[in-house]
Amino acid sequence: MSNQTETLFRALSDAVVGMDEDLTRQLSTQAVEQGIDALTAIEHGLVDGMNRAGKFFETEEYFIPELLLCSDAMYAGLDILRPHLKHAENQIRHKIVIGVVEGDTHDIGKNLVKIMLEASGFEIVDLGRDIPPQRFVDEAVKAQASVIALSTLMTTTMDGMAEVIKLLQKANVRERFKVIVGGGPISQSFANRIGADGYAAGAPAAVKLVKQLIGVAA
Amino acid sequence: MRRDRLTPVERFAAYGRGEPLDRLPCVPIVGNTAARVLGVKVSEFRGNGKLIAEAQVAAYRRFGYDVIRIFTDLYTQAEAMGAKVHYPEDETAYLAAPAIASVEEIASLQPANPHQDGNLPQHLEAMELAFQAVGGEVPVTGALTGPFTTASFLIGTENLVRLTLKNPAAVHQLCEVAYQGALVYAGAILDTGCTPSLTDAMCSTTVISPRQFKEFGQPYLKRLVDFIHGRGSAVTLHICGKTASIWEAMADTGADCLSLDNAADLEAAKVKVGQRVRLMGNVPPSEIMLQGTPAQVRTAVRTCVRQAHDNPKGLIIASGCSLPVETPFANIDAMLDAVRKIGWPVDADDLENES
Repeated sequence: MSNQTETLFRALSDAVVGMDEDLTRQLSTQAVEQGIDALTAIEHGLVDGMNRAGKFFETEEYFIPELLLCSDAMYAGLDILRPHLKHAENQIRHKIVIGVVEGDTHDIGKNLVKIMLEASGFEIVDLGRDIPPQRFVDEAVKAQASVIALSTLMTTTMDGMAEVIKLLQKANVRERFKVIVGGGPISQSFANRIGADGYAAGAPAAVKLVKQLIGVAA
Repeated sequence: MRRDRLTPVERFAAYGRGEPLDRLPCVPIVGNTAARVLGVKVSEFRGNGKLIAEAQVAAYRRFGYDVIRIFTDLYTQAEAMGAKVHYPEDETAYLAAPAIASVEEIASLQPANPHQDGNLPQHLEAMELAFQAVGGEVPVTGALTGPFTTASFLIGTENLVRLTLKNPAAVHQLCEVAYQGALVYAGAILDTGCTPSLTDAMCSTTVISPRQFKEFGQPYLKRLVDFIHGRGSAVTLHICGKTASIWEAMADTGADCLSLDNAADLEAAKVKVGQRVRLMGNVPPSEIMLQGTPAQVRTAVRTCVRQAHDNPKGLIIASGCSLPVETPFANIDAMLDAVRKIGWPVDADDLENES
C-alpha cells in the first residue's frame, strides 16, 4: 500500500470520526477516481472510522448524536464505494435480521446495533420497529439469515422475544439461527430464561457477541 | 408485618423536620399497574380521568406507599401538540408518529392548552379527583414530561439528537415550544392541588452528552422548577438510564429530589449531591420488580437503604423507573414490607444480615 493511499484511508477514517459527511463523500470519490480498491477503502477508511467512533462511544467521549452523525458519514461514503465492489465481495456476508419487537417504537438502540454490525461487514435485513414475532421468523427463513437480533425498550414487549423463539421451535428452524436480544429492560438472565443465544448491553458489545456466536474473526 | 404509624403526608413532614419516623418513605412507582388493582384494561384509562383516579387511589390503598403519581405514559403532552400515540388494548401506549417531520414545520407547533387538547383535561381531572379523595393523607403528583423529551416526541428522537449537533437553534425552538406547553400544564396541575413530578427521559447520558444536557435539558428544567417553587411546591426530577455525569447539573435545576434509575449508584450519588438533594431509587423495575422474587426485592431494598439511608437530604426507597404493568403484587408488597421491617432509625449493622 502506497503512503499516499494510506494517507487517504486515514483521511476517510478521520472524516467519519469527525462526522463530516461532505468530506467523506469527497474522499470516497477521490478513492474511486484514483482506482483504489473499494473494499480496502471501505475497510481501512470508513469502517475503521466507524469502529473508532464506536470506541469513543464506549468510553463516553461520544454519545448517540455523535455516533449517528458518524454513521451518516460512513453511509454517504458507502453509497459511493459500494458500486465499485467486485461482485464476489458482495456475496459472502452473513445476514442478520434485526428489528424492534411488536408493541414498541423505540428504535435508536436497534439502529445503533445495525450500524455497528453493518460496519463490521454483516448484511443487515432491518425490519424496522413494532414487528410481530412471526415476521421475524418468516424474514429470517426467507433471507437465510445467520442471526436474528431482537430489541426493545419496553418491558411490555419482552414476551414478544420469547414468542419469536417459540415460533422458531414450532417451525423446526430454531437451530438455523442464533437469536440475540438487547434493550433497556433486558438482562443476561432474561436471555437465558427465554432460551436466546446471547445478550449484549450495547452496540459495540453486540458486534463482539455476533462474531463469537457465528465464529467469525474479530 | 409491622403496620404504618404515620400517613405519608405525616411521614414526609416528620422526615423534613428531622423528627422520628416509623419507616423510610417508599414509592414503588405505580403507573398502569393500577389497572390491575381495579381489574380494568390499560386502554380504558384513555380519556377517562375518573377511572385513572379510582385506580390510582385503589392502588395506593392496596399497597400503602408514599406518593401517588397520576401517570399513564410520557406522551400526553406531545399528543396534545400533535404527536400520534398508539394505544394497545391492555399495554402501555407508545409513540406511533411524531407531530412533525422536519425543521420547517416547527413554527407550526403550538403549546398545548391543558384544558382542551389531547388527553390533558382527563389527566387533570384524574389529579383533581385523586387529590380530593386522599390528598390530605398522601402526596398526589401529576407526571410532567420535560421539554427535551417532549421535543423528541414532536420531531422524532433520531431527528432531534442529530439536530443537537447540526442545528442547535432548531432544538432550542422545539424545546421552547415544549417548555411553554409544559409551563401551562404545570400551572394547571398545581391548580388541582397536585405537585408536578418531572421526568425527562431523553436527557439521560445513555442518549445525549452531559454538555448537551446542560445546553438543551437543564435550562428548560430549571425554568420549570423555578415556576413550581414559585407556587410553593417542592419538585422531584427523574431522568432514566445513565446519569452519573449529570447529577450536579440535575441538582443545579433546583429540583428538591432526584429520582434515579437503577443504572445509577445511590452511594456515589449521595457523595456527589446528597448535601443538596433528596435521593429516590432505585430497585430495578424489570429485572427485580417484574421478573424477580419477593426475596430478591427485599435484598435490593436493603442494598438501596445501605447505600443511601444516611443521605444528608434524605432517601426515598423507590423503583428505578415506573413499574412494568404486570409487576406481581407480591413484589410490590415485598418492597413495602422490607422498608417496614428495616424501620427507623436504620440500624446499619442489622442491614448486613440477610433478612
